[in-house]
Amino acid sequence: MSVDVITCALRELRQNWRRTFAVVSGYAITVAFIIVLAAVLLYSRVVQDIVIGGTGTYFVTWLPACGDISSLTEKELADLAKGIIPAKCQEQCENCTGCNKKPYDILNEGFVVNTNTTRLLTIELAEKVARLDSLKNVSACLMFRFRDPTNNLIFTAAGVNPQDYAVVRNCVAAGDLVEGSYLDAAQPGKILVESGFAINNGLKPGMKFSIAEEEFEIAGLVRTGVRPLNPDIMMPFADAERAINKRIHNPLEKEANIILAVSHDATHHIKAMEDVKKLLKTDSLLTTGCYWPASEALGLSERMVWGFMLIVMLGSVMFAAKIQWSAVVERYRNLAILRAIGWSNRVIAWQLLCESLFQSVAGSLVGVLIGVVLITAVPVNSLLGVDAAMTGVLNPVLAIVVIAFAVLAGLLASLFPVLRMHARSPLDDLRRF
Amino acid sequence: MEPLLRVEKLSKSYHTRGHEIKVFTDVSFAVNTGELLLVTGRSGVGKSTLLGLLSGLDRASGGSIFFQEKEVTGLSLAELAELRASSIGMIFQNFNLIPGWTARENVEAVLMHRGISAAERQKRAVEILRELGLADRLENLPAELSVGQQQRVAIARTLVNDPVLILADEPTGDVDPETAGEIIELLLPRVKSGRAAMIVASHGLFDVKLATRVVCLKDGILSETAQ
Ligand SMILES: Nc1ncnc2c1ncn2[C@@H]1O[C@H](COP(=O)(O)OP(=O)(O)O)[C@@H](O)[C@H]1O
Ligand SMILES: [Mg+2]
Repeated sequence: MSVDVITCALRELRQNWRRTFAVVSGYAITVAFIIVLAAVLLYSRVVQDIVIGGTGTYFVTWLPACGDISSLTEKELADLAKGIIPAKCQEQCENCTGCNKKPYDILNEGFVVNTNTTRLLTIELAEKVARLDSLKNVSACLMFRFRDPTNNLIFTAAGVNPQDYAVVRNCVAAGDLVEGSYLDAAQPGKILVESGFAINNGLKPGMKFSIAEEEFEIAGLVRTGVRPLNPDIMMPFADAERAINKRIHNPLEKEANIILAVSHDATHHIKAMEDVKKLLKTDSLLTTGCYWPASEALGLSERMVWGFMLIVMLGSVMFAAKIQWSAVVERYRNLAILRAIGWSNRVIAWQLLCESLFQSVAGSLVGVLIGVVLITAVPVNSLLGVDAAMTGVLNPVLAIVVIAFAVLAGLLASLFPVLRMHARSPLDDLRRF
Repeated sequence: MEPLLRVEKLSKSYHTRGHEIKVFTDVSFAVNTGELLLVTGRSGVGKSTLLGLLSGLDRASGGSIFFQEKEVTGLSLAELAELRASSIGMIFQNFNLIPGWTARENVEAVLMHRGISAAERQKRAVEILRELGLADRLENLPAELSVGQQQRVAIARTLVNDPVLILADEPTGDVDPETAGEIIELLLPRVKSGRAAMIVASHGLFDVKLATRVVCLKDGILSETAQ
């Protein structure tokens, strides 16, 4: 290929500027369309993450209690307290460390998740869960149902690491505070009280509340809303551990009974839950239920966008092919003349490919520009009623891919008529046209 | 001495939809530089077909063509194109100018893709167009030129690469006798000065007295006619 080829290609494009304009606009519109669609698609991902992240990329898991405690004999209960496991319980003991840590008041107190009783598990197991790729954050938590023997008040208390993201999403966040201040792991001895429980029992920030004969100061009241874990009292993990230890036969040794988890993102949510179930060999998961229809609805629209993009791309290839085809057909006579005066097929083929290349490159660059202007100028987010900024939707890699695709499609489309031209006899073309 | 062009037992037949059309067989002749060979014959006998074979735009069915002592029939398409670009000038009945290109661009096209600089191309095209009296029509499109002027652009295009062989297919077919005479007048000096040979295909209107030799194609056979 030489300068002459490029000169000739440019002259051809200039002299047939109407056709050139049509082709370049065709490429530009197609590419702009794809860029905008892709941006909307990427944006829908962002929105999906926001929507699902806001309603449930987090969940709570635990190992359900073994057997039916009330069916054990006095002797079996006494043995259990010493760490002797009754035969009928043994097959359920995998991952459980809690047989010798049953509460003294086994009928009223115990390890629970909300209202269900659970086994204990090791913090080590929680760390194993945390290493799953599909999870973003994991926090081990203790939740225990206490009975205050002085007034028979039954309540649940959760021991958490308040700074953990999984706690914030699954149990309590600073944003849930209705009064007072939030938990601070560095300031033990303080608790949060769920506001409904507080009203029922006349509790206010600053007052004392007794748990296992220890006085705790109420730091604040919280309304935890739809979060999966809903204890009456929230306190630092170490405080809870100390309080619980007073009520069970043997002290906890790096143990918890609940794993709070947050999936990596909305698209990994289902996989994350499956991964955890497999690892723990449990079906016990608690999550707020609305993640599913949300992701389903958005997933459907995502498929539609992909399908639409595919159609647009196919359409653009066909458009390019049609244009390149007619550009060659209407020039059969001219090309025959040029071959008669000594132009080689190679030179002519290069020129045709050059023309196609120039048009597709120019067209797709303009298209990217139009796409970017459209994306920045049209407030898609406010049209959709989502107050998430449209960031991260202008992907340079995507733009390069789209340009490359358009150029490749153009070249492929022009290859066919070029090969046809090769097979034609210039004499026939001169006679016929 | 080997002639510029020697044709031996050349034959051509077309195969269309199953049956064969024999255009001519066993055509043999030779042309030397400085000669004008006139190929006569009624329309449809295969004169254009013969010129097509000589220019390398079409392939013979049999026989051989030797041009400048080289066998043309065995050359590749690219080599044939190169041969046309460097040594052969063609002129057609209906001019075959490219309608979107100016007179100068049409002439310059012959010099394209041959490593000749744009300035040199332009210089040579303008020079020959001037010689042919088209100095003030350089940047006009063919449609803006008279028939005679168009024919002169076509002649300029034929001569710009200094061809040693000029192939003219009914060069005077479509124009009035005066213009026809002018065309011959412009092309002939190249031949008479010994710079080129010329083969003219014509079905009758061409002035036989101008030709060095006249051959007649009839029923697929080429025969020499006495002048
Ligand atoms: N591509 C082709 N396919 C089939 N027949 C052809 C083709 N080109 C020319 N012919 C036939 O070859 C014969 C010679 O044509 P041509 O060389 O154009 O004649 P002339 O130039 O002497 O008038 C004609 O009968 C024509 O029909
Ligand atoms: Mg003819």
